[in-house]
Amino acid sequence: MSTITLFSASDAIAAFLLAHIAYVFPAPVKGWITSGDVVLGLASLIFGVILLGASMINTIMLIWWERKLLGRFMDRRGAMHVGFAGLLQNFADGLKLFRKDTFRPSKADSLGFWMSPTAYMVTSVVIFGILPISTGWNGGSLPLTLLLALVIFSFAPLFIFLGAWASNNKYALIGGMRSAAQMIAYEVPILLAVVAVVVLSGSFNLTTIVLEQRNYWFWAPLFLALIVFLTGMLAEMERIPFDLPEAEAELVEGWNTEYGGMLFAFFMLADYVRYLVGSILVVLLFLGGWTLPTYVPSALTSFPLAGIFWFMVKAYLVFGGFVWVRASLPRIRTDQLLRLGWMRMVPLALLSVVLAALVVAAHCLPVLGCVPSMGG
Amino acid sequence: MAEPAPSPPGEAPGTEEKPLLWVTRPLATAARQFAKSLWRPSTVIYPFERLEDPKFRGEVAVASGRPIGVGEIWDNYRGVHALNINTCISCNLCAFSCPDVCIEMVTVPGGDPKHPKKCPQIDYGKCSFCGFCSDACPEGCLSMTTRYELTAHKREEMVYSPAKMFEVYKSKLPMNPIRVERPKNEDQILLDPPICIGCNACARDCPTQCITMLDIPKTTPKPGEKVPKRIWKEPVINDSDCVRCGTCISVCPKDCLFWGTRQ
Repeated sequence: MSTITLFSASDAIAAFLLAHIAYVFPAPVKGWITSGDVVLGLASLIFGVILLGASMINTIMLIWWERKLLGRFMDRRGAMHVGFAGLLQNFADGLKLFRKDTFRPSKADSLGFWMSPTAYMVTSVVIFGILPISTGWNGGSLPLTLLLALVIFSFAPLFIFLGAWASNNKYALIGGMRSAAQMIAYEVPILLAVVAVVVLSGSFNLTTIVLEQRNYWFWAPLFLALIVFLTGMLAEMERIPFDLPEAEAELVEGWNTEYGGMLFAFFMLADYVRYLVGSILVVLLFLGGWTLPTYVPSALTSFPLAGIFWFMVKAYLVFGGFVWVRASLPRIRTDQLLRLGWMRMVPLALLSVVLAALVVAAHCLPVLGCVPSMGG
Repeated sequence: MAEPAPSPPGEAPGTEEKPLLWVTRPLATAARQFAKSLWRPSTVIYPFERLEDPKFRGEVAVASGRPIGVGEIWDNYRGVHALNINTCISCNLCAFSCPDVCIEMVTVPGGDPKHPKKCPQIDYGKCSFCGFCSDACPEGCLSMTTRYELTAHKREEMVYSPAKMFEVYKSKLPMNPIRVERPKNEDQILLDPPICIGCNACARDCPTQCITMLDIPKTTPKPGEKVPKRIWKEPVINDSDCVRCGTCISVCPKDCLFWGTRQ
């Protein structure tokens, strides 16, 4: 664990910048500019900008990754012409959306229509700021990071339904209703699966949860919880096979039917931020975060930013699994979806909590855990 | 993935007992496809790679056991025309035979000033690629190639001048070798001697120069008979050189030439 964190780095950048800017000003202003509060404020700003940039770039790369993977699953190539291997294709698409006109249907409710994409985007990006990608990536180690992340994650149905209602469109409204029902149904198994992780690690702090997995990644002892969590995450992300809220064959584009141009881009980007957050949560809770097993040669784990690198590799692989599911399974019906959620996932999640409690009570984690730690 | 919900009534039989297969089977199929296309998907990146390139179809052709492989262009494919300007005799037959009226005879350099050489110019915006023109061509100088790329930004670019089609000819693309043989017992051009005034128009305009004007004996009109003023010559058509283009019939001012069968 290095002592340089992202926040301390941005603090240093802020102090450096302010010291040089203050140089040109006369005495009283100079002292005011270099005071601690101003440095802290600018440091927070730089920190936020870095996080935003990282999340946006990763989001766009995630779209590229999905397009390429989905192409291979369908025996084709995906984006390949703009930039090397199509890496810049999504930037070009974003530019196209940015240049498009954004307009509101005349009967739509103004406040809700404009607010919904922004709020959806903001709540999605905020989660990214909480998650520890590596030691020292996040701003502060809050005691209840996991709960906070899940709470913000579950804001989404509210804003989706708000936008759907405000659009004044029947397809949007049906999509919004489905989205709300689906997300509420799958909050329960997700939280129960998370409880199993919390039982095993004894903490709601994501950094602590990862550090608890130094010796044994949780996916093996909590395999049941992992399956429930993955299924629930698929439903929360509204990805195939749980993409009923925007079932293209029935509802034109679901709850974002009436949104075009940059507003649609907001929804899409926020969706992919949520996919990224979901993959990151899987890595954090079950796949040992930025830690690697001991049998991995130290050359692979000791280069600068190795933690972040391996973390993102894991997150992209988890998202590759989601793409695999998308390429394979058809969309299920609403009744199947809700029955699966309430009658299968909830009991399974409860069972996984019991299993986790048994594992802790019997101190049999070393037997079940199969991935040795990097610390040993 | 997790165990899905049990099948409601009305689902396909057989899957009800093993609902896990609903999930695992498609996943396995997708994974197999992914592994297959991981190194090289079967997409042929068209402008850069072409199916007619043997590199991209050789194995398929052998495996399917067909004489012509997937993506290979058949010999009698009717694509862009190739025109050999040097052998074109300006007979107009292509333009006559065109059902879409997309062939226009335009002047090309090379003819003498009195009789400018004319070659077909084809508007591919109208062309239906029926191939009648290349079938009609008596000299075999207009034929269809396997070139199939005709996209253009403007309509004017769809009009192929003789020079452009000569370029296609010079690129030595495979040409359509299947031609309709002209029937042997075809009608010939016959002359109605009493009407002919010996004006030389047919001989002048014959693209193959197969008409010669021969002197005929002067006949003295009977008293009272009205005889038009004429030159005492008559066209004689060299049948082996005639391409049956009909130019002589169309230029004859007295309509004394006609299609028929010599007894």
